[in-house]
Amino acid sequence: MLNKLKQMEKFDLITNIVVFVLALLFLLPLFWLLTNTFKTSAEIYQMPPNVLPNKWFLGNLNELFQGQPAMQWITNSFVVAFFTALLSVIISALAAYGFAKLQFKGRTVLFLVVIASIMIPKETFIVPLFDVVVKMNWIDTYQSMIVPNLATGFGTFMLYSYFKSIPESIRESAKIDGAHEWTIFYKLCIPIVKPGLGALFILNFVTAWNDYLWQLLMARSKEMKTLTIGVASLQQDVNPNIGLRVAGAAIAALPMIIIFFMFQRFFIKGATEGSVKE
Amino acid sequence: MMNQNKKNIFANNHYSGYLFIAPQILLMLIFIIYPVIKGFKMSFYEVYGMDSYFVGFENFKNLFTDPVFLKSIFNTILFVVAIVVLTIVFALFVATSVFDKNSKYVSFIRGSYYLPVMVSMVVMSIIWNFLLNPSNGFISYMLGNAGIKDVNLLGNPMTVMPVIIFVTFVGNVGQAIILYLATMIGLPEDYFEAAQLDGATRWQRIKYILIPLMKPTTAYLTVINIIAVLKIFVVIQLLTGGGPNNASVTMMYYLYQNAFVYNNTGMASSIGVLMFIIALLFSIPQLKSFLKSK
Repeated sequence: MLNKLKQMEKFDLITNIVVFVLALLFLLPLFWLLTNTFKTSAEIYQMPPNVLPNKWFLGNLNELFQGQPAMQWITNSFVVAFFTALLSVIISALAAYGFAKLQFKGRTVLFLVVIASIMIPKETFIVPLFDVVVKMNWIDTYQSMIVPNLATGFGTFMLYSYFKSIPESIRESAKIDGAHEWTIFYKLCIPIVKPGLGALFILNFVTAWNDYLWQLLMARSKEMKTLTIGVASLQQDVNPNIGLRVAGAAIAALPMIIIFFMFQRFFIKGATEGSVKE
Repeated sequence: MMNQNKKNIFANNHYSGYLFIAPQILLMLIFIIYPVIKGFKMSFYEVYGMDSYFVGFENFKNLFTDPVFLKSIFNTILFVVAIVVLTIVFALFVATSVFDKNSKYVSFIRGSYYLPVMVSMVVMSIIWNFLLNPSNGFISYMLGNAGIKDVNLLGNPMTVMPVIIFVTFVGNVGQAIILYLATMIGLPEDYFEAAQLDGATRWQRIKYILIPLMKPTTAYLTVINIIAVLKIFVVIQLLTGGGPNNASVTMMYYLYQNAFVYNNTGMASSIGVLMFIIALLFSIPQLKSFLKSK
């Protein structure tokens, strides 16, 4: 280890020290969040702050789950994120297969529209989109938070390359054996692209979990709030209890931190395959 | 008989293509294409209660004489340029420093910078709001110790945009670092090592070999960051609400205020149309490069 450090060029060594120290600083806000969750409000306000809580205090979490519908918010976020991810994987897999493997008129034009839909944020047409959902009478429902987000072409674009890489000869030989297109898709191709489906599911889940503006517009009642909306609304309450607010933010962050450590490779994959952060 | 029919539909390649893409296309028609067209139409109308009147380019004219909107354009441009430059430069710095090191170290660096991206801007904004609080925030306390007393970084029109830019940068740069690292690690090893044998220093190798090789990635990151910053909402909503005195209003935030606070849907649609056109223009190179690769 020491030998290796000695072998490094001075320039290399200095830049890596800077990068390492800054990496620790980048973690500091999250460290602050997670440790302050277990401090009393008075201790949070205390300056200079204690690095770790004096006594690990559970009152903030207690109040969050007893005094606020936090469990309901978590359930809502989970339902919305899970079904957005699941339905999007199904719809994207079908469409990606169609675009990558089948011939039909207008394919290139339609696929260009799909790609354009990734690049153009839905926020730019959020007013008429809101009207569409109002007309469907979907305000304050789960489907309003799920279905409009299935329209983006991100998943189709991501899975396209997976289906494209399946050799045509496999499909041809299955065809000669008389297999339907559906059977080829479902029995033959889906197992091959499974890693892509998993990555897409996780990426979609995280995007939906972290969504804010759309869910804010859709959720009207306190019971339909998702976790991000509920936690953000705690900040705007007159309630002066800072501990409760910190605990709320920590609860929203924790599942994402866990998901990151479990599925790190998927995020690397998502970034390299043309991810657009929502 | 039914079965026979079904078989025929799927047996014919021409139709089955449409069947596979139908759900996606249907959703796009309802939730993207129709609203986009409707948005263009709405931008030429003014709404009074239940009625709406065709007003031509009146909404756009009003926008460009509205000092708040002009301020929002200025802030948006500042925001986009600052984030793109900071993100690209810093991500290149981090990635070129660590990409050829031991994989556990790379993992740690990647994780540290990416975790703020994972936990979303909602959580990050809440944390920074606490840290920046003028009366009892940690950052205000540190500044006080350094002799800078009574600062309210979010309440001062001079400092509010730099702070918003900083908070966004921290919550966003991890994406670029992950992408650069993946691209650099994927390069054939001899590229970088051959130059070392020629006696080039590390900095020379980074400058003349590595960074030029990253050009397509840099171009891609520039485009997605422009578009990502264009639509940023939550940081501003939770940290400043556009204040003080509109000093941190962006186009996206002004769109939201017009649409859902002032009930001025015509104006909001006009801003949306302008932003739509900007996003479309910036995505053209991306679309072109896709067509080429096909």
